[in-house]
Amino acid sequence: MTVMQQQQARPSSGGGSSSLYDVLELILDKGLVIDAFVRVSLVGIEILKIDVRVVVASVDTYLRFAEACNRLDLESGRKAPTQLTDIVGDSVESGAKGKSKGALTGAVEAFSESLQRGRDGDEEEPAERKSRSSSSSTARRSPRRKEGE
Amino acid sequence: MPVYVYAITDAEHPHRLDDLKAIGESAGPPTTVAGRSLKAVVSDAPADLRPKRREVLAHQAVLERLLEDGAVLPMRFGFVAPSHDEVAGALDENADTYAATLERLSGRVEYHLRCGRDQDDVLREILTESPEARRLNEATRQNPSAQGDRMALGELISQEIVRRNDADAREIVDALAPAAAEVAAGEARGEHFLAVSFLVDRARATEFARLVEAEKERRGAGYALTLHGPLPPYSFV
Repeated sequence: MTVMQQQQARPSSGGGSSSLYDVLELILDKGLVIDAFVRVSLVGIEILKIDVRVVVASVDTYLRFAEACNRLDLESGRKAPTQLTDIVGDSVESGAKGKSKGALTGAVEAFSESLQRGRDGDEEEPAERKSRSSSSSTARRSPRRKEGE
Repeated sequence: MPVYVYAITDAEHPHRLDDLKAIGESAGPPTTVAGRSLKAVVSDAPADLRPKRREVLAHQAVLERLLEDGAVLPMRFGFVAPSHDEVAGALDENADTYAATLERLSGRVEYHLRCGRDQDDVLREILTESPEARRLNEATRQNPSAQGDRMALGELISQEIVRRNDADAREIVDALAPAAAEVAAGEARGEHFLAVSFLVDRARATEFARLVEAEKERRGAGYALTLHGPLPPYSFV
């Protein structure tokens, strides 16, 4: 069941709300350094910052991409213009976001969630997303021809 | 007494810090140390300073306040000097360099942009545009045990994603750079294919934000562009 991977989409907010997670790297890695001063140990934070860059060229990633392609419904994607997301509301949105978390982001989730915990207000309800995102991908198991464009 | 250092400013900066909390459990507001021509914003360094969320936020809050009233050289989080004298000495030793940087940053703020893309969105684009990807996708759907095709599909998709992300990143930076004074590349990771900072004149902040909005519009729902700012110019010191 491919659907099992699709869970806990975290809000990819388009707004300018400064989440500490995104700005954290600037505060920790940029900024002025004065050599004569000593830096406190950042052990706790280094763990958060362990390089979570996606290793794109790995067997594991290849397989996940292939799987994601296999379950992609090309036709419904084409029929849905981008604005549809806004109009239809969150059932479409959560489906799309849920799926999008597959190969690229799995590793990041845990880190960002631990940082976002305690941030007020803007967390989504994972359980709700999970149930919605699993509903959309059952009826299209049969391989279909793509109308070439 | 060890001193935690937040920032360097010129001597005229108002330093409205009385209602802020310094780093550490029971600290009052930060204070300043004066060199001959510059000032550093400091507080007593707690003995057991750890990089907790609360401390990072305290550091950031002090910087954001300072930024409201003038140019500021933000220190990287976590720097401690042995004493006030050492801080004053460091200010004087590099006074010219710091003054020049403050001058360059005057009236300017940092904006940090991160861009990600919905995975299905890019997969759909690749399958639409690449006959080979379509062929492999069909082959592996029909025959789930075709491991060779499966790997080939995944590898092709990987390469295409990287190529498209790189091209998108260049386009986005090129679209926004005209409204910025400087650009500093960050390190994109995780769900983002682009992390980049812009140094923007306050007077052009609205124009810059409009360009970002226009870019969002143009890219559509498949992309997530997240803009943070105005921020202290961490990336430009």
